[in-house]
Amino acid sequence: MKPEYVDSVQWDIVRNQIDSDYGAGVTKRILGALTPVSLPRAKGISFYLVPTGWLKILDRDFKQFTPLSLGMWLGDLVEGLFRLSLPALERVQEHTSNLLIVSRRGAESFTYGRSILKESVVKIAPSLLRGQRVFILNETNECLGLAALSVDAYKIGRLAKDRLVAKNLVDIGWYIRRLS
Amino acid sequence: MIGKEQRNRAKEIAKKYGYLPYMIERYVALWGEQEAIQFLEACEQPIKRAIRLNTLRAPVEETLSRLTAKGVRLEKVPWLDTGYIADFTRISPGSLLEHMRGFYYVQGVPSMTVAEALRPQPDSLVVDMAAAPGGKTTHMAQMMNNSGVIVSIEQDRLRTASLESNIHRCGVTNSIVLRGDSRKLDQLGLAPDYILLDAPCSGEGLIALDPSRKRSKSMADIRFCATKQDALLDAAITALAPGGTLVYSTCSIAPEENEFVIDDLLKRRPETKVVPINIEFGVPAYPAPYGVELHESLTLARRFLPHKHNVEGFFICRIEKEESS
Repeated sequence: MKPEYVDSVQWDIVRNQIDSDYGAGVTKRILGALTPVSLPRAKGISFYLVPTGWLKILDRDFKQFTPLSLGMWLGDLVEGLFRLSLPALERVQEHTSNLLIVSRRGAESFTYGRSILKESVVKIAPSLLRGQRVFILNETNECLGLAALSVDAYKIGRLAKDRLVAKNLVDIGWYIRRLS
Repeated sequence: MIGKEQRNRAKEIAKKYGYLPYMIERYVALWGEQEAIQFLEACEQPIKRAIRLNTLRAPVEETLSRLTAKGVRLEKVPWLDTGYIADFTRISPGSLLEHMRGFYYVQGVPSMTVAEALRPQPDSLVVDMAAAPGGKTTHMAQMMNNSGVIVSIEQDRLRTASLESNIHRCGVTNSIVLRGDSRKLDQLGLAPDYILLDAPCSGEGLIALDPSRKRSKSMADIRFCATKQDALLDAAITALAPGGTLVYSTCSIAPEENEFVIDDLLKRRPETKVVPINIEFGVPAYPAPYGVELHESLTLARRFLPHKHNVEGFFICRIEKEESS
């Protein structure tokens, strides 16, 4: 197993999903001067962004060494679905308006893997729709992870305070939970 | 050879502190009884927790201000730019948002000092030969401001998970993580400017953190580690670019894994020399442990000792490979 230049068909899937989830042109903006490369996994493919100067290193034969990750981990493509990685979230967040700001208590609960309830919602753009990916931010605009809206944003005001608003997809507590 | 009387005395001390007798015999031979007892007493005391502030995520001042506001008491380690003794009182250091966001890394002072002793320059090619769980890789990445390349190698499948997790959490984007045996480093055909070898060791410097170490390792285990350390050092020197720099370290206080290993290397590989570490910490390494005369340049290497520095026992040696080799 070694890093490969990305397959254009697979990269189209990744680019289309990022752009449709977070806004047109977002993929191009997060890519900047970096080059996407891929690593095949037992299930699916992982994508990484690396400086172009690294390609001469990546072209070599790694022999008895197995590359596990390199550069910035962008995310994984599994069965046609692309999931952004945690390290990529902050980069994408800068270029999107899919944001949900939550209270201090909601933020803490989210980083323990919980989903977002109505009582934790501080601010959300009313145009966001059910099923859309939203970045969860605390009240000082720090990115805590990604969630899927379970209700149209304009309807949130009608919900009871204990009703689900956004389902946790990934949060920064994963770094710690993964090791425990 | 030690006499029956000394052996019996070592047994008495070993029984009192819960160690295997061979360990006490070595400590007494190395330091004399009085200092050996100081060492044993120090290993009964807790080691203060330390953190490294990660400048890839936030400026030092910001992290200091946020942690102070949460009641964490911080005291700067004099020879480290971003190293602090940290008293979290009743807070778990891993539970804070700042930890999840990679603003700091919980790491022992000696471990931070290892990367500081190497201090790789930006844009260079670096190899971390035993990289998990990633403290030193992430430290070097911040020194290099994510430029250049750090090839981080780890053989243990489970430990690579913690390595990758810490790399991502700390915002490191200049590393390539490889699983494999670093003794085969030459197969990669790299000529790194810097190599960090924090070698797998018997852990004899970590007794204060892991009291089970008092009885868990035999002299044969130490010899086994030393053999592996020899092989790793050979692989490192073979791969290192001419004029390149290697830092060798262990979390062991055993001369058999430190001074003797480096002395052998200097004999085996004449293209190498021990050079000074340009920061002030610890005490000089031993040029004549157990009365055996070794290469005099070993005094340029440094040791952390629990009974002198209230940290884990560590050995750190900076080595250069000749330009013309």
